[in-house]
Amino acid sequence: MDEQGCPRCKTTKYRNPSLKLLVNVCGHSLCESCVDLLFVKGSGVCPECNTSLRRTNFRLQLFEDPFVEKEIDIRRKVLRDYNKKEEDFATLEDYNDYLETIETIVYNLSNHINIDETKRMIEQYKKDNREQIKKNQSKLSKDEEMLESLIEQEQQETLMRKAMIKQDEQREKAAKRKHKDDLIDDLMFSELSAQAIITSYRESAKQEEEEFKAKSAATAFSTGIKIGHQNNVVPMSRTEQGVMYRYCPLVMEWCGPDPPSMDDIYSDGYLKNIRLASDAEKAGGFREAIACHRALQEAFCGLFSYPTISPSPLKQPALAASMSH
Amino acid sequence: MTVEGTARYEKIDFLGEGQFATVYKAKDVVTDNIVAVKKIKLGSRSEAADGINRTALREIKLLQELRHENIIGLLDVFGQKSNVSIVFDFMETDLEVVIRDTNIIMTAPHIKSYILQTLLGLEYLHVNWVLHRDMKPNNLLINEKGVLKIGDFGLARFYGSPSRPYSHQVVTRWYRCPELLFGARSYGDGVDIWAVGCIAAELLIRAPFLPGDTDLDQLNRIFQVLGTPTEADWPDMKCLPDYVTFKEFPRHPMKEIFTAASDDLLDVLDMTLAINPARRCSASQALQMSYFSSKPAPTPGSQLPFPKSNKIVDKEKEAKRLSLKRKQNGSDAGGMKKRLVF
Repeated sequence: MDEQGCPRCKTTKYRNPSLKLLVNVCGHSLCESCVDLLFVKGSGVCPECNTSLRRTNFRLQLFEDPFVEKEIDIRRKVLRDYNKKEEDFATLEDYNDYLETIETIVYNLSNHINIDETKRMIEQYKKDNREQIKKNQSKLSKDEEMLESLIEQEQQETLMRKAMIKQDEQREKAAKRKHKDDLIDDLMFSELSAQAIITSYRESAKQEEEEFKAKSAATAFSTGIKIGHQNNVVPMSRTEQGVMYRYCPLVMEWCGPDPPSMDDIYSDGYLKNIRLASDAEKAGGFREAIACHRALQEAFCGLFSYPTISPSPLKQPALAASMSH
Repeated sequence: MTVEGTARYEKIDFLGEGQFATVYKAKDVVTDNIVAVKKIKLGSRSEAADGINRTALREIKLLQELRHENIIGLLDVFGQKSNVSIVFDFMETDLEVVIRDTNIIMTAPHIKSYILQTLLGLEYLHVNWVLHRDMKPNNLLINEKGVLKIGDFGLARFYGSPSRPYSHQVVTRWYRCPELLFGARSYGDGVDIWAVGCIAAELLIRAPFLPGDTDLDQLNRIFQVLGTPTEADWPDMKCLPDYVTFKEFPRHPMKEIFTAASDDLLDVLDMTLAINPARRCSASQALQMSYFSSKPAPTPGSQLPFPKSNKIVDKEKEAKRLSLKRKQNGSDAGGMKKRLVF
């Protein structure tokens, strides 16, 4: 199922939209209430893999697959030491080999393959490259600088856009106000009939509004994301042809005389000799006629059935009514 | 020679796990049919001391006597050591999966077909004095022929005897009717009909219609949409054990909530979601409403939409994960001149 759920209590996002899945270093998810329940003391073991975990290490699961979360954790840890850049290598091949090594380490650690060996490899690497690791850690990489400047630029653009929108809105408001004033002036001093003035004004107002709408509709984000609906709805196939449904009442085999119908029960006075439903029963949707109906059905049912015809009445309960369909 | 019990059913696949049971897909070696085997969990020791789980007993006892196209068929029951297993018709999917699958477009004839099949099964149950008491999309199973069958009779029981009080803690909350929420101990077929109304609404909006967080919140949501009932709408409601007075909400016209629904479908919703259980229609009455006999005709089972099998999706996922590990021997390393991007 493409459904996120807690593996312990089986609650799913669908059943409980406010479900919060948390994940710890072992890569198994648990919902918030299960974490509350299992980690009352602050630490405990994962119910899936028995790894001992601390409650404080639980964090919100961002990806649908908890395995991804685990890999991210491991990758972050590995990349702290394996922080060489392309410039640090003589050839592109060397650099690619280096990247492959990182991938292998991450894969091995997240899939429990040769854990000890891999860890030893990392230690060795740390020892061999201690100086360079430190150097790289201290210097802010070019990438990060570029990213920061990009974000700053984007922020400025947003501010400008906001200001522009505000101006537009104010201009529109002013125009509307002026429009209204003009209308009143015209109504006061013009020779034309009031009706004609109002209609002409209404039309021009509509026109302006449309113009404004057309202007604002053509917005697109600077990031290239386009706003607006894309029309890619596939036309429906019209091949379905079903048989029209017609109601036919269920036919029961009573093996006895036909019991009175619900209408008979009301009209023939069956209810005179029966305890009436209390107010609480009535409010719950129970009526004395229901009980009466069932009691009569059960009394009539199977009256014509003899042990010689059906030797074991227990094997053919009264309710095993055959269907007419 | 007759093959019986565990030997008769070859396990093919694990299907799912619930609170009380695990379900497997299996092959019946006698008939070669694919079936579903529901293995009842024994539960904790204290529960086991009482013997077999009562929901399983209910399911077996009731289904033994019921046979209908739209009711799940009980094929066999067998025990192995202290375990009990129930064998059912194999059903590929359920309505909840269909509703949630966003690739599926639900048309008016589809919706009519689903509601119709549900009501046909329910009418048969009610005529035989059985209340299902847990109607929800999850329990409406669908096979590959598009036949919908009502399943999970763990909460079902006979109704219509006046002297026995019933539990009001039945039916999944979102599909629970107001009289149950007010704690009614005697009730009738209205509890199932209300749930059908909620399911029909869910088919229209493709999301749970009244997803309450608590029992009180559930009532609040019901009244917010359908209006708080007055003494005239529902006399005697104050006699119900857990009655509480609610803020008075006005009724929203159904037309505003379900803009895409036809008028005759809105009539069905109005009748099935009547707050007063005495005014709610029965399954037979619902089936006689014009919605079901009018155009468009319900989609025949073979043309009903079918969700992409979950199992296939899982396997694809698995394949993707494995391909993450790149081949290390790198046979084409010589020609590799572009930068690897991970």
